Amino acid sequence: MNPRAANALLGAAGILLTLGAWELVARSGIVSQSVFPAPFHALATGLAKVPLADLGGHVWISLQRIALGFAAGALLGVGLAVAGGWYRTFGNLVRPVVELLRPIPPLAWIPMAIVWFGLGEPSKVFVIFLGAFFPVLTNTWKGMANIDPTLLRAGQTMGLSGPELLLKVAIPATLPDIATGLRIGWGLAFGVLVAAELIAAESGLGYLIMNARQLGEVEVIILGILVIGAANLVTDNLLARVLARWLNRSSEGSLP
Amino acid sequence: MGAAATRHAAVLQGAGFIVSLLLLWELASALGWLRPHSFPPPSRIAQGAWELAVRGFPEGVRVWTHTLVTLRRIFSGFALAMLAAIPLGLLIGRSPTLDALTNPVITFARSVATLSLLPLVIVWFGTGELSKTLLIAYGCFWVMLSNVIAGVKYVDPVLVRAARTMDTPGREIFTHIVLPAALPRIFAGARTALGVGFMVIVGAEMIGTIEGLGALIMEARTFYRTDVTIVGMMLLGVMGVLFALGMEALERRLLPWHRGLSEVRR
Repeated sequence: MNPRAANALLGAAGILLTLGAWELVARSGIVSQSVFPAPFHALATGLAKVPLADLGGHVWISLQRIALGFAAGALLGVGLAVAGGWYRTFGNLVRPVVELLRPIPPLAWIPMAIVWFGLGEPSKVFVIFLGAFFPVLTNTWKGMANIDPTLLRAGQTMGLSGPELLLKVAIPATLPDIATGLRIGWGLAFGVLVAAELIAAESGLGYLIMNARQLGEVEVIILGILVIGAANLVTDNLLARVLARWLNRSSEGSLP
Repeated sequence: MGAAATRHAAVLQGAGFIVSLLLLWELASALGWLRPHSFPPPSRIAQGAWELAVRGFPEGVRVWTHTLVTLRRIFSGFALAMLAAIPLGLLIGRSPTLDALTNPVITFARSVATLSLLPLVIVWFGTGELSKTLLIAYGCFWVMLSNVIAGVKYVDPVLVRAARTMDTPGREIFTHIVLPAALPRIFAGARTALGVGFMVIVGAEMIGTIEGLGALIMEARTFYRTDVTIVGMMLLGVMGVLFALGMEALERRLLPWHRGLSEVRR
């Protein structure tokens, strides 16, 4: 058997072992099943209480919020960092402000988000936006600062200058760092989601599990946690693939 | 000299910009352009900070208490995670079979957003200290575990082979070669884990407590004291910076053989 297949098999065995151990502990009766339900029982009961269509609806709404906040964070993060890295004075002004705000954890903005945007959709998107914005910004900025000067000089020798040099040389050279920032930002946006949806939400995965806690439905909580994990895993892999393809194409195209 | 002068000018520009922003902010609220509740002016924030230090918010719970409580929660969760993750990670990292066996489970557990466990730990352990500690420990644990595993797994095989040709016993290979080579990555893991704990704590403190900086900023908002909220946010920011600096200093101290961390830093 080739090693990859062997690893996949072992991995599957590991998942089964984990589920088996969980099932065993739950059935042993050490803890009541209503507090610590067995995995399949939890999923079945959870799905009975929250039908697949409803669950899909919550996933969809959460993903929309993440996508919106992430897109805003990515655009503004890349935009500010590129401008700040390219135009020195602008960079000198903006960077210290960013460095002052960056250490504040995204969740710590929740109270001010409520004050500024109320309890509706914008405050949730704002908190998610913050989660994505800072990693994208700092990584892009790092990339802009570390562009190989030879590349820029080569560009200049070939007659590029100003915005053209920025678009054709500097930004393509920064793409790998932008990609790193985007992946970290996506992960953080996801991590912030649940807390953002604690703000008086009436839908979304965060709402689903917090509401289930009030109703005492442990099965729904477990189902929700697993769905959040799966959604994060799947979308992160998708993003990684898209970014890898994007990087490949851009390095074949404009740059040597 | 030229570089130093440019650097100097950059710092001056930045500082000047921040000071003028603050002045503008103060002016705008004095003129009534900014609502003091939404954007409390710097002078109000300073008053809030003073009040928090002297009288406390809520009354009697002063800023030191909030800060210490938050620190204690982060460190107890972090320490718990270290205690579990380091031995387990060393074990898994040494064995390719164990690594393959646990890899998907670890990947999934890492993907589970820590705060999504909040309702579950509340059901299981209530809203007390234990829940918060465990939540932080969960977030730190998986980050730490995967870094310890990677650290051990990606030790340069040439080093290990070189030691084998010199008939070094397995135990010594582990303590003298694998461990020192893996430490930088383990350290990077600890730093990331502390960052995760720091992120989780604010969310964890929003429920079932009035002590801690996360609780402070939410409480202050409820009582229309956004100036105090902003003081709390600033304290969290300062704490984050101090953590990062502290970890860096510790790393230079403990790992003098390891210079440029660039290959393990993301």
